[in-house]
Amino acid sequence: MQVHTGEPYKESVHILVVEDEQKMAQALREGLEADDYSVRVAHTGEEGFYLVQAQPFDLVILDVMLPGHDGFEILATLRKRGVKTPVLLLTSRDAVEDRVRGLDTGADDYLVKPFAFPELLARTRALLRRGSNDANPRFKLADLEVDVAQRAAFRGGQSLELTAREFDLLSYLFENRGRVVSREMLARDIWRETSRQTPLDNVIDAQIVRLRRKVDGQFASKLLHTVRGVGFVLREEGES
Amino acid sequence: MRLRPRHLRTRLTLWYVAVLASLLVLAWGGTCALLFWQLRSQLDHFAVQEIETVEGLFYFTPDGQLHMREDYHNHPESKDVIERYLEVVTADGAVLLRNERLGSRMLGGEIFAGEGVGGYSQRTAQLSDGTPVRVVSRMHVLDGHRILIRLAHSEEPLLLRMKDLLLASLVVLPVVLAAAGFAGYSLARRALSPIEQMARRAQEITPERLDARLASDYSDDELRQLAGVFNDTLARLEKAFEQLRRFTADASHELRTPLAMIRSVGEVGLQKDGTRAEYRDIVGSMLEEVNRLTSLLDSLLTISRADSGHIQLHRTPVPVLALVRDAAAIFEILIEEKALKLSVEGEESAQVEGDRMFLRQAFVNVIHNAVKYSPVGGSIAARVRTGEEGLVVVEIADHGPGIPPEDQSKVFDRFYRVDKARWRESGGAGLGLSIVKWSVEAHGGAVTLESRPNEGCTFRISLPAAVVGLSQVSKPM
Repeated sequence: MQVHTGEPYKESVHILVVEDEQKMAQALREGLEADDYSVRVAHTGEEGFYLVQAQPFDLVILDVMLPGHDGFEILATLRKRGVKTPVLLLTSRDAVEDRVRGLDTGADDYLVKPFAFPELLARTRALLRRGSNDANPRFKLADLEVDVAQRAAFRGGQSLELTAREFDLLSYLFENRGRVVSREMLARDIWRETSRQTPLDNVIDAQIVRLRRKVDGQFASKLLHTVRGVGFVLREEGES
Repeated sequence: MRLRPRHLRTRLTLWYVAVLASLLVLAWGGTCALLFWQLRSQLDHFAVQEIETVEGLFYFTPDGQLHMREDYHNHPESKDVIERYLEVVTADGAVLLRNERLGSRMLGGEIFAGEGVGGYSQRTAQLSDGTPVRVVSRMHVLDGHRILIRLAHSEEPLLLRMKDLLLASLVVLPVVLAAAGFAGYSLARRALSPIEQMARRAQEITPERLDARLASDYSDDELRQLAGVFNDTLARLEKAFEQLRRFTADASHELRTPLAMIRSVGEVGLQKDGTRAEYRDIVGSMLEEVNRLTSLLDSLLTISRADSGHIQLHRTPVPVLALVRDAAAIFEILIEEKALKLSVEGEESAQVEGDRMFLRQAFVNVIHNAVKYSPVGGSIAARVRTGEEGLVVVEIADHGPGIPPEDQSKVFDRFYRVDKARWRESGGAGLGLSIVKWSVEAHGGAVTLESRPNEGCTFRISLPAAVVGLSQVSKPM
């Protein structure tokens, strides 16, 4: 049923979430568990600190704004003790100094609240994948095929005429196939737009419409779907 | 503990008195020294004259004794008037004669090398009883004998006079200083009293009463200027406060709108049991509003950082035409979809010194605006040229509906939208152009709008050109 391939077996992936807001913690737990990660939640920095030392985790998702010792302090102490577990910082402040401080303290990545959940999942995967070299030059989904090395795409054996951007978009959706990809992720990873203020949403939507016309146009089974309010996903119909 | 007077006028007076005192002491001391030096050289002068006089009065008696003729006075008692000390010694130091006033005291002691030879030797010495004297010596030949004549006057009267002078100054100086201090203090108080008055008045101005102003009818130019500057600052403050008040009201309205929608959609969705697809749609609709809120917050954050001056521009030379092309490229697909004709042309060499990211943001927002409002099949022209006075001018013209004249001054205001009803589809909160204005002005430029209803808009952005070498200035033909 799962379309993921070449991923580590997820049940064995342990993630620690350090977040004091009950609702946020619950959402993170459910969202990550839905993606088959095994999740442990700590509600204070101290609790998180002891958990990390007590048992090995593959990833720590650490909120910056915690009562008592904040995320920066916890992170600094962990790094000082030689704990090398990848850490993804969640911050509600978008100030550049905060990001720099976070990365300097030893965070592997950061995400600004409010974030799109698909983006959190993508960053999580990226951090877990880091180090393992997983270049997969050919993708296949139903009768859609993408050859990354040749920059060529086929549907039902027929070659698709894609522009460079359309091809990048399709490969990106393929890499994340079965998972929703947000507009923010596309803006950052495909359009390479660093500023969140660039009005790209209309552009992305138009580009998706084009791509869909080429990929799904004359075919009965649709592969490229829009998930309202979240983004886009490449998957076979009926699958969720 | 350090004492520091609270009032400026006291400090001014103290400084003034201190400076005056040191100047007076310096001047007085200098005068005394000069006087003393002059009087002493006068003394030497007299001594030289007297040596020349007494020289002719010496004679040796046959038994080898030296004597001095003193019988020329008309009144013998006049001798007592003469205050000189006189000593005559042989070349090897044996005393030949000492006058009555000197008595048995020694005048000058051992002969030093070259004393009185070829001129007059002057020096200050002390008699054995401590009397300070000024001695002048002269070597002389009398009847084939070399004798050294030493003639001296007491310096005591001189020193006494100097002492009197200094004592007098100790009495006079404080009086002078006190008078000067008093005068200085009242002057300072008078000069500073309008400032005190201003301070009292300024203290009464609170954020609620920003419309109050300082009186500016001072006769002093400096004070009038000060009051003027202060009033200008107040005016700017008042304007800023007003803008902030309006901004807060607008921002809360803009934030409230998506929140209200999230709430209503959620509440209505929960009122009845729906299908899975219906729920997905409801959640999706709520998430759309959340995205809108998020991007609104991002824009607000940028604006507030810009306002508080927290944004630093990383300036590098930026080729403007390339940047405009880059900004336009983002909308390529929308332009195709709407069958718009976009042309970007102009001087390739035009450069400005600026922050690439924020300049690009400005061009992106203006072009986005043009794309948004252009009718299907319309055309947009972006032109870059170097204008007069070292400016780079970027004009972006569309043929959309244009902006009515009464609204043209407001398009750069925050949250302004020409068509209030249409913003949801066109997806903006009316912050884009205000960000353009901020970015351009932060680069020392200006942005203006020309528009006629139904003929379109032309946005003109002028930026100071980068200073480049001559070879780069030549325009491509």
